[in-house]
Amino acid sequence: MDMTQERPPSYRTSSARKGILSLVPEAAREIRGRRRLIRYLSQAELKKKGTDTFFGNVWWVLDPLLQMAVYVLLVTVIFARSQPAYPLFIFAAILPWKWFTTITTDSIASVSGQDKLIKQLQFPKIVLPAATMITGVTEFAFGLIPLGGMLLLMYPDRIHITLLWIPVIAAVQFTFSFGFGLILAGLNVFFRDVGNLARHVLRLWFYLSPALYGEDTVLSLGKSHPTIEHVMMLNPFYAILNSYRNVVYYGTPPDFVGLGIVMGGSLVLLVFATVIFKRLEPAFAKIL
Amino acid sequence: MDRQVSGVSRYAVDVQGLGVRYSLRLTKKNTLRNSIRNTLATFGRKGDKDRAFWALKDVNFRMVRGESLAVIGPNGAGKSTLLQALAGIITPSEGSIEVQGHVSSLLMLGAGFDQELTGRDNITLVGAFMGIPHREMDERAVRMIEFADIGQFIDAPVKTYSSGMRARLGFAIATNVDPDVLLLDEVLATGDQVFREKSMARVHELARAAKAIVLVTHDMNWVSEFCNRAMLIEEGRIVAEGQPAEVVRLHQAHAEATRARKLAEAAALLGTSVDAAIGVGAGSVPAGLPTSGRSPKR
Repeated sequence: MDMTQERPPSYRTSSARKGILSLVPEAAREIRGRRRLIRYLSQAELKKKGTDTFFGNVWWVLDPLLQMAVYVLLVTVIFARSQPAYPLFIFAAILPWKWFTTITTDSIASVSGQDKLIKQLQFPKIVLPAATMITGVTEFAFGLIPLGGMLLLMYPDRIHITLLWIPVIAAVQFTFSFGFGLILAGLNVFFRDVGNLARHVLRLWFYLSPALYGEDTVLSLGKSHPTIEHVMMLNPFYAILNSYRNVVYYGTPPDFVGLGIVMGGSLVLLVFATVIFKRLEPAFAKIL
Repeated sequence: MDRQVSGVSRYAVDVQGLGVRYSLRLTKKNTLRNSIRNTLATFGRKGDKDRAFWALKDVNFRMVRGESLAVIGPNGAGKSTLLQALAGIITPSEGSIEVQGHVSSLLMLGAGFDQELTGRDNITLVGAFMGIPHREMDERAVRMIEFADIGQFIDAPVKTYSSGMRARLGFAIATNVDPDVLLLDEVLATGDQVFREKSMARVHELARAAKAIVLVTHDMNWVSEFCNRAMLIEEGRIVAEGQPAEVVRLHQAHAEATRARKLAEAAALLGTSVDAAIGVGAGSVPAGLPTSGRSPKR
């Protein structure tokens, strides 16, 4: 049988459960076979996000800029901290973080929000969180426009060749986000608490990541609160955000060791998440 | 496998020993708190039998091409669950289902549309969900739009549609994807007279094209008019199967008996609860409420 065929002409379902090991290649086949559906879903999502607002898709560019403005005001004026080129310093971390929070919250709702469709049509449910991931990548790519504009107009002396590392760091972040989002998407069908909880966890996670402050702050903090330092080091976004900042702000190479470890962990997480999701999938239509 | 090992099965639909179980513990909209409490409550108890509900049990039937089967029965008998299982939307808890060919399963027509997208966009999306190749879908879309006949609305968001328009578009999609097996749930009741006649003609056409059709309906006229076979389901089991006229007669007899029993029960209940209310002096309990249904433990 052609593995990439979109629609099987005949099928057989039974109560027999599939083995755990076959679930991961099956999920990969489903995603590969349903590329077009994933693309349509993602396009539809982007279209919807743009239609209800006056500025439409300009918000993809405006949103991270405004968020950056708020933090610049907060940190430089109210907390009176100074860091050269602080807007760029903070933007380099906020842009990827915003990507992560958006796809996490969107993927949580990706399956439970399509309850009516799931009860009417048989399709591999993994396409729903997968489409959310693709939408997120598009939005992140658009977010790079204001970053480029900022570098060109305000900090031309900070344009480095190291910017070319961004796609590599983004790939690591994508792998982590996919695994993380997949688990939450499946769990949220059973426990709607996931969505409520995630908001607060993400907020705390943000403050425990080197987004508003840099690596040096974490290290100096570690002298008085060693536990907090350890927690931060375990955070995958420690390596990810520092790497973004290295290549965008400092013009130095990314934290290869840290990224390597995060990538390894993320791949394990992704396999684990796929198994969980595929195992929960048959129950979706009954529970939604 | 004892039959048809090498070749394709003769049957368009082959259902063997189908059972679908719902776990009542999970089906309720759940929160973590409830779930932990339930898990603790059932911990140590053997199995979870009292919290499971068999929507379908021991269902066996086969269909050949050209057959149109009406599935009738009272509300909650498992008719829609059967369609969902045939469409592959829910997996059997027991037994197996084998379907030859493509299934079209817009069960509750139009309910799955994306409200924010236009009718045209929804057609494209549904086509992709069904896995119909892009070029093929472009051709079909023209026919679907023509059949739905909703004019300018095809380029307006579905949220602006009337329920009739939504059903028309749904029916147009479901019947124009060239299904080998068509599953329809209560669809022919929607729409105005003109569209009903048009959809009737379409169902006839599909039946003539030797497709297998499974139709769930409460309209008994449809059963005898459209289907060459009928199946009565009660409480998740097949009670009768065969000639539409006979099965309909049996269903009506059962419905009549049930109604008589319900009436008698209601009368009895009304009498006792009025007595109870007077006896205890609890004026807050309205007469006729099934107070006996409440668990005394809580």
